[in-house]
Amino acid sequence: MPEKTIGTGSNDIPVIQLKHVDKHFGSLHVLKDISLSVKKGEVVVIIGPSGSGKSTLCRTINRLETIDSGEILIEGVKMPQEGKELARLRAQIGMVFQSFNLFAHKTIIDNVILGPMDVLHKSRKEAKEEAMQLLKRVGVDSQAEKVPAQLSGGQQQRVAIARSLAMHPKAILFDEPTSALDPEMIGEVLDVMTELAREGMTMLVVTHEMNFARRVASRVIFMDGGSIIEENTPDEFFSHPKSQRAQDFLNSIKDH
Amino acid sequence: MRDKRTSVKDALFEPPGPKTQKIIWAVTALSLAALAALIVVVVRRFYETGQLDSKYWSIFTKWTTWKFLGKGLLGTLEAAVVAGIVTFAVGFILMVLRISGSIIASAVSTALIEFTRGVPTLLFIYFFFLVVPKFGVKLPAFWKICLPVSISACGVVAEVLRSGVNAVPKGQKEAAQSLGMMPHSVFLKVVFPQAFRFVVPALISELVIVVKDTTFAYVVNFPDLMQNAKVLISNYDALLSVYLVVAVIYIVINWLLNRASVAAAHRTGK
Amino acid sequence: MGIKELLSQYGDQYISALFTTWKLTFFAFAIAFVIGVIVTVMRISPVKPLRIFAEFYVQIFRNIPGASLLMVLVYALPYLDVLLSYFTCVLIAASLIPAAFCSEYLMAGINTIGTGQIEAARSLGLTFMQIIRRVVIPQALRSSVLPLTNLLVATMLTTALASQVPMNPRDLTGLVAHINTHAVGGVTAFLISALMYCATAVVIGQIGNRIDRKVRILR
Repeated sequence: MPEKTIGTGSNDIPVIQLKHVDKHFGSLHVLKDISLSVKKGEVVVIIGPSGSGKSTLCRTINRLETIDSGEILIEGVKMPQEGKELARLRAQIGMVFQSFNLFAHKTIIDNVILGPMDVLHKSRKEAKEEAMQLLKRVGVDSQAEKVPAQLSGGQQQRVAIARSLAMHPKAILFDEPTSALDPEMIGEVLDVMTELAREGMTMLVVTHEMNFARRVASRVIFMDGGSIIEENTPDEFFSHPKSQRAQDFLNSIKDH
Repeated sequence: MRDKRTSVKDALFEPPGPKTQKIIWAVTALSLAALAALIVVVVRRFYETGQLDSKYWSIFTKWTTWKFLGKGLLGTLEAAVVAGIVTFAVGFILMVLRISGSIIASAVSTALIEFTRGVPTLLFIYFFFLVVPKFGVKLPAFWKICLPVSISACGVVAEVLRSGVNAVPKGQKEAAQSLGMMPHSVFLKVVFPQAFRFVVPALISELVIVVKDTTFAYVVNFPDLMQNAKVLISNYDALLSVYLVVAVIYIVINWLLNRASVAAAHRTGK
Repeated sequence: MGIKELLSQYGDQYISALFTTWKLTFFAFAIAFVIGVIVTVMRISPVKPLRIFAEFYVQIFRNIPGASLLMVLVYALPYLDVLLSYFTCVLIAASLIPAAFCSEYLMAGINTIGTGQIEAARSLGLTFMQIIRRVVIPQALRSSVLPLTNLLVATMLTTALASQVPMNPRDLTGLVAHINTHAVGGVTAFLISALMYCATAVVIGQIGNRIDRKVRILR
């Protein structure tokens, strides 16, 4: 479990920092001069219309997408571009995907212990004990011996979160974690995430769940057309959005 | 989303960093050199054994050569089309028997399907070439190649058709029945046409196998492409070049058929 | 000729023909699998020339008729001073073609994994080789059990090419041709070989099904 005490000294270095990041997909400019930082214990929620580049932004932090220019720093260390150093840094940042991406050929418990065993070189016994605790924490410990296809979407996503936690990450990235879920399962995943946030986990969350953003976020970032348009506390952002685009966006989702 | 746009083939290697990029370039250069060396070795072999001599290749500048090969190709296509139709007809019957609901019909059909799938085409060809005539049945060479090729392929086609029928949603059948249609017209007018659409790509792939199997036509002396190639070889002293050209023709035909199969698969939405 | 007469005269030859077919099938499949894996590695590599070469290989050998390839190997190669035994020619033809299909099946197996799992493995900090070893190979192999089973049967059928060249001992198809041109073997001679082929195919199919049921990945 991450420490509750938020130190003052190391607190100055953000866990995640992006400096002037640019990215193109062909002729499409998907990330335009993005700068942002996530401090220890912060929950930063990125919202915005689809195609705004928020998902791409999230993926660059794990180098699942490359960037054209700019810098990405993890605790002040520049993201390496390849090799063992990159793998090591990736291991420190968890990632939860929209489509869960559990390993289809492995049981739930084996999904969770793969990283700790292969990357952190823990013994199977040790990894398994901790994995069971994590599965219990996300409420799927009774499914440990099943394979992913036997679980509901909500259960799979909670396993995916447990899989991330097993690596003791410095932060977890959530890339639209509830977008592929049936409505009745969204709640169970958001509950787990809320719990994590309360325990002090550093999180960067791309989501369409405005209530989650309002309740849990330390900061809300609004993106549109590849740029960060607005950045504010959830209270301020939702009650007094400054930019026209944010106002339009909030109005458009209110209609639903 | 984005991750569905790239195939696993491309996702396996992530976008390389500068060091990896250098390695990739080095391996690329190395493999290019290796491939070039391979080509050089092969071409030199041809040159040293005199196989690049124009006397071996000049026959392909003659119109009559292509006309003769074209005639053979026509024979190949004729045999392939007829064999394809027979295969489809027999395959259809086997499939209907298998799903007929009658235990005996289904068992007989299953046994026949397994039998045709487990026996090589050549064995069937020898059966028609050597065994059938002994019963006083005189078949023309055309049928001595078409029938065994069809028999050899019909089991697979029956199974392909069956998988198509199974893929048609139950609701279609029920909807047709609720309209008061007779069982056989439900099957022929509602279920089978849809099933057929599902399996067009697989049927085209099977046609490739039929085309390949007709190359054994020389066994029964039917003038297909391969047989005519052999005639050409005995008339001119150009064995290697003719066999290579014929191989390329076969490869191109089957490649085109496979392309058609892929295109059909895209059109039916997989 | 009755079955008793046939078996007393040719029984030994049938047995050795069966073993010849099995031997050819086994070696051809083993070679095809190795080539198939190598070709697949080339096809997924980030090295363009290797990709193009492997793609070329697959397109050539999945489209060339076995007879055509065998003719080239047996009759054309000697003109290039490449002399191979008949057995070797049949073995090469019966492995190069299935190898192309083997690669196609492995590629299909790899593609079912989906990019998501690979990204997930990457974000856990697994290295490239770990991803290949722990995620890609196990899944690709497990989901290609049935296609590879069918390929083994197809390889056996391809070895009937052996009947097109003089070989000693003969294979199951060659033996039938031999018996029928030298004696009146009739339907029985044909059926014995056919049943031997079929029995082999059924056994292979059963084993393949059993393995598949054990290792199949739920999706």
